[in-house]
Amino acid sequence: MPDAMLELEGLEVRYGVVAAVRALDLRIERGELVGLIGPNGAGKSSTLLAIMGVVPVARGEVRLRGVSIRGRAPEAIARAGISLVPEGRHIFAGLTVEENLRLGRAARRDANGVEADLRRVYGLFPAIAGSLSRQGSALSGGQQQQLAIARALLARPDVLLLDEPSLGLAPTVVESVFAALEEVRAQGVTILLVEQRAQVTVSTADRTYVLANGELRLSLTPADANDTARLAAAYLS
Amino acid sequence: MRRLEPLVQYLGPATLIVAVAVAGSLTSHAREIEFRNALVNVAIVVAIYVFVGNAGVISFGHVSFVAVGAFLSGLLTIEAQSKQFVLPGLFGFLRETTIGDLPALALAALAGGLYAFLVGLPLMRLSGLPAGIATLAVLGITYNVLRNWEKIGPGPLTLSLVPETTTIWRAAAGALAVAATALLYQRSRAGRQLRATREDAGAAQASGIDVYRQRLVAFTLSGALAGFAGALLVHLLGSITTDQVYLSLTFLTLAMLVIGGVSSLWGAVVGALLVSGANSFLVDAENTVHVGFDLTLPDGTSLVILGALMAAVLILRPSGLTGGREFSLPRGRAKGR
Amino acid sequence: MSTLQALVDAVALGSIYALVAVGIGLVFGVLRLINFAYGELITAGAYTLWVLRSLPAVVAILACFAVVVSLSLLLERVAFRPLRKATPATMLIATFAVSYLLQSIYLLVFGSLGNSVSTLAGLQQAVDLGGLRIRWITIVSLACGSLLLIGTAILLGRTSIGLHMRAAATDFQTARVLGVRANRVIAFAFLVSGVLAAAVSVLFTVQNSLVTPDLGVPITIFALVGVVVGGLDRLWTATLGGFAIGFAYSLLGDKLSGEARVYLPSLVFGLVIVVLLLRPGGLFAGQPRSVERV
Repeated sequence: MPDAMLELEGLEVRYGVVAAVRALDLRIERGELVGLIGPNGAGKSSTLLAIMGVVPVARGEVRLRGVSIRGRAPEAIARAGISLVPEGRHIFAGLTVEENLRLGRAARRDANGVEADLRRVYGLFPAIAGSLSRQGSALSGGQQQQLAIARALLARPDVLLLDEPSLGLAPTVVESVFAALEEVRAQGVTILLVEQRAQVTVSTADRTYVLANGELRLSLTPADANDTARLAAAYLS
Repeated sequence: MRRLEPLVQYLGPATLIVAVAVAGSLTSHAREIEFRNALVNVAIVVAIYVFVGNAGVISFGHVSFVAVGAFLSGLLTIEAQSKQFVLPGLFGFLRETTIGDLPALALAALAGGLYAFLVGLPLMRLSGLPAGIATLAVLGITYNVLRNWEKIGPGPLTLSLVPETTTIWRAAAGALAVAATALLYQRSRAGRQLRATREDAGAAQASGIDVYRQRLVAFTLSGALAGFAGALLVHLLGSITTDQVYLSLTFLTLAMLVIGGVSSLWGAVVGALLVSGANSFLVDAENTVHVGFDLTLPDGTSLVILGALMAAVLILRPSGLTGGREFSLPRGRAKGR
Repeated sequence: MSTLQALVDAVALGSIYALVAVGIGLVFGVLRLINFAYGELITAGAYTLWVLRSLPAVVAILACFAVVVSLSLLLERVAFRPLRKATPATMLIATFAVSYLLQSIYLLVFGSLGNSVSTLAGLQQAVDLGGLRIRWITIVSLACGSLLLIGTAILLGRTSIGLHMRAAATDFQTARVLGVRANRVIAFAFLVSGVLAAAVSVLFTVQNSLVTPDLGVPITIFALVGVVVGGLDRLWTATLGGFAIGFAYSLLGDKLSGEARVYLPSLVFGLVIVVLLLRPGGLFAGQPRSVERV
């Protein structure tokens, strides 16, 4: 079997004595958009942070294209082709939009093609293109989310990790963000999306998993998007 | 057995102190001074610990209180006749009075406490780095004033002819007293309230603890203890200069505290004794010591090696040698917890 | 001394302390570490100038830069890298220990009596500018100080590594996640602050030619005090604070006459305490920081 783009095997993440993630197995193929939903404290963020090397992996394996990236520094993982859009966006408030974007280029593997990527990103998020010289802190929540995604995309990653991008955003804004994500998937980027909003995630993603108490509980397809009973059961189990 | 816990916690530091005193009394006179010095260091470091360890706020200014105690006790115990001759510029009261050494120790504690109280009134509102810098400024002011105001001291000159009344047993008694006071304080309601502010001052304040007031109490108490220790110091050395109670001593005592473990009495005592011991050993090694083989360090390197060792401990074990835990006896078989 | 002259001198001393403030502020920005040992870099530079005193000034100065920058990078690698995970109190004391260690090495190697540096001594001479007698060193200090400050600003504002540094100073973790190399950014901070320390050692020794092992200590203390008073959180407020303290010290020193002059440090420290009580977050900082006051 050819290597998956991103593979988690028996992943365990601990904070002190508490296990936030237990024995998580996940396999994401190239070009897929996989969703990860679940209640608060389920371990969703921890999973992304562990992949990114921000929190240590207690046990198990993380593989990118078959090669283990466990234990590597975040900047090395970024340079290997994974970009993270962190929870809360983490825009550099004191820097301009343009500078925030430029930072995204730090992890690029290919110094050429920046112009093309910029145009793609401006196409996805026109609002960004129009506010290049503004301070990061002056943007609205929705614009900041767009900037965070744009920033991550400028690294031309193979894998894009998103941690609750809809947090604190109005429904219309959420729609546009998800539409942009579908575009990104269409451009060939593999996406792992962590979200609280079950329905829109399930209907957008190729597959969605429910994570509760650090363990995978259920696997859902877009067909299940309107099956509220099944969704509720997944959360409450 | 919980009622015995305070006793047990005191046992460790007290035993060490007494052991050092006994060992010191059995050595030659030249060596004995180093042991006395170590015990006075314990007194100073524990005094600092009473504030820094319980409040979780760093203070670079405590050596000011040591200085005040040292100079006051020194001045008041010098024979009046010599004083008038050597230090004519002193305030009348200081120049003409001579008191016994025990009252002088008490007065030093009082002066240290009063100075700390006055300094603490405005400063205890601060936390973190601003507090550190503000206390550093206090140290700077104390040094500057002591060095130049000839009505209260010898200025840049050495204050000498101070009676050397700090015997090894007096030093031990002083260290024991300071340690006992520290333990009693940290177990008191005030002490426990203050310790609660260490992790999260905001939360503590919200639950009804008057952070400012508790810090002021600890600061004043530790100032008094530091003044007392300063008096022990000046009566050990027989003399004192402003440079001896300034940055070097500040660094040394803070390092001793952090190396031992900043949040426990055990840490303060262990740190003080260990670093003092290491210092003595290294200085002796410059004149050849026998450690299985003959070790002779080149002159002047003891300071460098001590500095390197301290830096190494701080870098490699940041929580200190005791990890901030109090002394306890090894537990028996599994007890219910 | 006329007021204008006193002002010029004050600005010159302020510039020197501004450089020290930037050196301290850069490292604090990326590491959240307050480098008590920074002054020892300046001392190292001064001693280098003394050791090479018989060589042409240009050579001695270049060597000074080389030595100081190397020492700065060495300290980062050996002493500060392991400290990255320690608590603030421990970091503070540890840098204190490194400072102490370096001073004891200087004491061992060079002795306590002090050595006289005469590099660029010619700058002590004064020149007449429209009725004002200004020493060359004052002009040079102002010029170098401004150039270095502007250079640093350009470095931070317009280069890639500068951008990475500013990002790291704001939010190190997110910067790393974006691919900013932690070690490179930190090393660069130490490199630049080393360059600034070397410059200070050259400028400082012209007016204070006696080099002793504890040369760096009062400089560090005053600069640190200035940085905290100005506002440690942003580089520009820290720099202003450093400048302010140098400026105040020089100006007050001129205004105070004979007897009272010895109490200048007390006056400056007293002012510092007042400022910290009123604005614990820094004189030039924006919002009051609620965490620092109870």
